[in-house]
Amino acid sequence: MHEPLRPLSPNIQHYRPQLTSVLSILHRMTGVLLAGAAVALVLGLWAVAAGPRAYGIARAACVSPLGLALLALATWAFFLHLCGGIRHLFWDRVRGFELATIYRSGWAVVAASILLTALLWLAAWRLSP
Amino acid sequence: MIVRSSSQVSRSRWLRRFPLPRNLGVAAASRIGPGKHWSAPAGARRLKTIEVYRYDPESGGKPRLDSFEVDLDDCGPMVLDALIWIKNRVDSSLAFRRSCREGVCGSCAMNIDGTNWLACTRHLSETGPRASIYPLANLRVIKDLVPDQSHLFAQYRMIEPWLKVQGAPPERERLQSIEQRKRLDGYYECILCFCCTSGCPSHWWNGDRFLGPAVLLQAWRWLTDSRDEARGERLDQLHDPFRLYRCHTILNCTRTCPKGLNPGRAIAEIKQLLFERQP
Repeated sequence: MHEPLRPLSPNIQHYRPQLTSVLSILHRMTGVLLAGAAVALVLGLWAVAAGPRAYGIARAACVSPLGLALLALATWAFFLHLCGGIRHLFWDRVRGFELATIYRSGWAVVAASILLTALLWLAAWRLSP
Repeated sequence: MIVRSSSQVSRSRWLRRFPLPRNLGVAAASRIGPGKHWSAPAGARRLKTIEVYRYDPESGGKPRLDSFEVDLDDCGPMVLDALIWIKNRVDSSLAFRRSCREGVCGSCAMNIDGTNWLACTRHLSETGPRASIYPLANLRVIKDLVPDQSHLFAQYRMIEPWLKVQGAPPERERLQSIEQRKRLDGYYECILCFCCTSGCPSHWWNGDRFLGPAVLLQAWRWLTDSRDEARGERLDQLHDPFRLYRCHTILNCTRTCPKGLNPGRAIAEIKQLLFERQP
């Protein structure tokens, strides 16, 4: 590129968000979040093994309002990333590239992630003593 | 909303832009300042206001956002007509590219209401109450709506977009079956307006090394041509973490193509071909 003094026309600051780009950036953000959640999961398992005191602290953290919110976010992130990943597998086989299919599968991923998160939490609530 | 054709304009009133500061990561020279308001000539009754990105290299000023009142009774129906009307009636210094005015040449590609499209095939009635007209995203601006595309054409040149064959030229045409010819459909129609490449976030962040959807669609157009004999060589050139694999299947390209083509699928085809070629 030449003439570095020329202004650069705006990109992310102006380009309209669309289902395509929004789901793409959410896929990446949920991936990052899940990496953090994996560490938290290991900490939780460690707390289970480390005895009643550590377990008590971990449990209190999980059932606190902030803990519950983070857990809800992490489970939704898990399902969004999972469903989005399956969508990517179809694309890797060059399937589903018609624009209408891109939008249908995109909205399906959004709906499925919310539904699966709700089902998981319903199950957790029903199974909890 | 299910979008069936790239020509569909989003009617949604929310999330018109990503919730980011306007000047996030924007160099001082690229920041857009307030501009001038240009009123319509006296007597105009049916008015529409459009905001236009302006930059004049000779004045030494920064980019600015001018607003123009357009007299719809005196102006053609398309966004390009409005720009021509402004140039003729209001401000003759407004610079933009145009040629065919019917979606064939690709010259008037620009960012209209946040997405890339050809000004000549976008109806003014499809734009918002305050239509915004910017140059194609993420390109160096030469003047107003005229971006510097030389880097994009250099990338196009890199894939050697011509028929490559060994041996002496044949005595007659190189024949194709109907099936073979069909494989070029949806790819040969590309007019190189670069709406897709300019709308691709991967190309925004890695445009120096990632070839971008327009050029990769062209690469596939030659890879899938039954007459071309350089498939292996072409694939070798594309087999690169940046040139091809910076594509993360965001699909802004397919969403924005003013010719209704599918760069996203073309890139997936190339990736699959490379995958199948692996020993």
